[in-house]
Amino acid sequence: MATGPLRFRTPHIEELPTAQSRQSAGFAWVAVSTAQDDPAKNWGTTNRKRARASLGGQTEQQKEALSARAQRETERRIKELNNDNSRDVVIEVAKKPGQSAGGGAFKAGKTTGTKKILASGKTFAHYLDDEEAEIARTGRREGEVEAPGAAQRASKTPLARRKAREGSSASNSPAPSAVVAMGPPRVPRAASTYFAAEPMPVDDLDDDGEDSEDQLPCLPTSAEMEALLNTPPLTYNQARAAPPPASMPPPRRFCETCGYWGRARCMKCGAMTCSVVCKDEHDQSKCLKMYA
Amino acid sequence: MARQKSLTTPTLSPNDLAPRTLILDNGAHTLKAGFSSPLTDPAPATPSACHIIPNCIARSTRDRRTYIGPELTTCADYGDLAYRRPVEKGYIVNWEGEKAIWERSFFSKDAHIDGAGLGCDPAETNLILTEAPNAPASLQRNADEMVFEEFGFGAYYRTLGSSLNAYAPSPFPSTTTTVPAGVPLECLLVIDAGYSHTTITPLHHGRPLQTAIRRLEIGGKTLTNRLKELISRTFDVHREDHIVEEIKEDVCYVSRTFPQDLEKTWKGGRYDGRELDTGVVVDYVLPDYEHIKRGFYRPHDAHVNLRNRALGIGTETGRREHVVTLGNERFTVPELVFTPSDIGMQQAGLCHTVLQSVNALPEGLRQAYLANILVVGGTSLLPGFVERLEAELRSAVDEDTVIRVARAEDPVGNVWSGGARLAADEAAVRGVMVTRQEWAENGEGWVRRRFAGKKGR
Repeated sequence: MATGPLRFRTPHIEELPTAQSRQSAGFAWVAVSTAQDDPAKNWGTTNRKRARASLGGQTEQQKEALSARAQRETERRIKELNNDNSRDVVIEVAKKPGQSAGGGAFKAGKTTGTKKILASGKTFAHYLDDEEAEIARTGRREGEVEAPGAAQRASKTPLARRKAREGSSASNSPAPSAVVAMGPPRVPRAASTYFAAEPMPVDDLDDDGEDSEDQLPCLPTSAEMEALLNTPPLTYNQARAAPPPASMPPPRRFCETCGYWGRARCMKCGAMTCSVVCKDEHDQSKCLKMYA
Repeated sequence: MARQKSLTTPTLSPNDLAPRTLILDNGAHTLKAGFSSPLTDPAPATPSACHIIPNCIARSTRDRRTYIGPELTTCADYGDLAYRRPVEKGYIVNWEGEKAIWERSFFSKDAHIDGAGLGCDPAETNLILTEAPNAPASLQRNADEMVFEEFGFGAYYRTLGSSLNAYAPSPFPSTTTTVPAGVPLECLLVIDAGYSHTTITPLHHGRPLQTAIRRLEIGGKTLTNRLKELISRTFDVHREDHIVEEIKEDVCYVSRTFPQDLEKTWKGGRYDGRELDTGVVVDYVLPDYEHIKRGFYRPHDAHVNLRNRALGIGTETGRREHVVTLGNERFTVPELVFTPSDIGMQQAGLCHTVLQSVNALPEGLRQAYLANILVVGGTSLLPGFVERLEAELRSAVDEDTVIRVARAEDPVGNVWSGGARLAADEAAVRGVMVTRQEWAENGEGWVRRRFAGKKGR
């Protein structure tokens, strides 16, 4: 613990990567600080190699770039883990020669619309991007608009507020912000006497103690319930689970070789190992960074 | 809405609905499909009517065949099988592949296929199709269009898969009063631990509370891929999706005492080596599809030379035996559902995702949902899953809050049997279905709004 720069173990401080998380070639732009910044201070006594090798990087910019790179790397790995299909295979739906009963089996589609659907090679990521772009452009989800039935519009959230909410979904941040997720459900202001009177506490599970003796939280009325049931669905990105609360312990690290607790970090690549045995094996075969 | 019968659809009965309903739970891993025909058979369809069909197109490099959907059951050698799944993240994305699978599952009359009992004439059939929550609108539109225009089903109801769980028999032992078919449970928080995701859906009388739906992006396939990665540190199984999936199903479990279990499986340092606990560490014998059709496991034996075994030395009858030793992989892999940060994922674990969902509800409803948590989905079959979830929730909320978690009797088929019970109630079905006539008259926007619960009901 004594080695390296001072590190804050509190989980409240989180370094968010500022760089784009787009996948790109295996390099990152790193601002290289010139060693001749202040010649008066450059005594040649610092161990530059070690400073470079220590994973934190030397300067703030380097640290940022490194953590962004590590973040990208984890994202790539998670994406790979969540991959539905086998890797690197293209499987064609082979045309069966003796197809008689379902003769139309491999006709390209019956109408122009279905032909288009069947021929489209879009993946889920494409559809998701399309929808996010649509939301960013028009400010609402497709199909949420009620063109003829505008009379029911009154029971819906004001468009202005919805705009703000859905604009945020385009960002990469997981799930709705705390305001959206935890705040009172978007019920009509006039009807919601209960919610309008007192804003719902965000962490009500903690302060249940004092109000449990005087009053139980009353059930929403049927009108409120109906409004709640009629709210439009969240977008795909909004429904994603939010990051764990800040009070949670920091992420656990495991030995890369055997899966036990990771207790030592590889100076070159940042992987964790548990013991000398595992570290040796890591050095021999797994540590892919030749120079660091 | 005009409901008059037109001249173009003479096959439909006067009430616009066909006599049979196909309930199709279109999961990413398997299709759960079966008929319910309330006119000829008034009782709700039993789970035996549910066919579980692999929802994938697989290509074997060994016999150079492509297996589509139900044909996979005829496959003799699952080694080196590459998969393509038309359902991505729980949504039907690739309709070309899905159509090929559906055609072989329902519309074909080939005798050798398991789904042979599903000979289905779409025009004479109603379809209940499930979808995952928070679907992009374009995918919903594609599904509607394909069902009506390409397959030509007589009537159609697209709904959240989770919401059908409300119609299934209640899993909670205290509510012994049997609900008639077609009547949903009042409050239910469905945790669907599926193949692509784990979704959390609060249901009120079978209707989802959309603002509180949450999704944890860890599913069965994440676990399989992770296990594949971990085993491949010692034995390359990168291309053996099917075998690794079987290993996961056979040996993985959710640990209640994670640190202790981790200690038990540690080999120790160089000078203070430890005994491995053979209660946890197992040897898994991989199938070779000649003698061993399905892998199995036995307690770890440290004295066996695995390399010799692989060459056929020291085994009975001298057959070759490929053995993988599994220690902490058995429980660190399912642990991801509860601690996604172990692989650096910036999402809360299942317990906190449930609380996020519940906290998005009005305060008065929270207790009702926390006391009615239903777990479905194939991943929930991992031993210890429900117990761990209940324990974590218990420690995260106040002690006077009632927590009740139950797993459906058949977590895989529960959505289907819920759909079957809904289909058995004719009035309920008629209230939600959209006929082809209505589709033709009102267009896709109307149909989508209707399925979103905006009209009718």
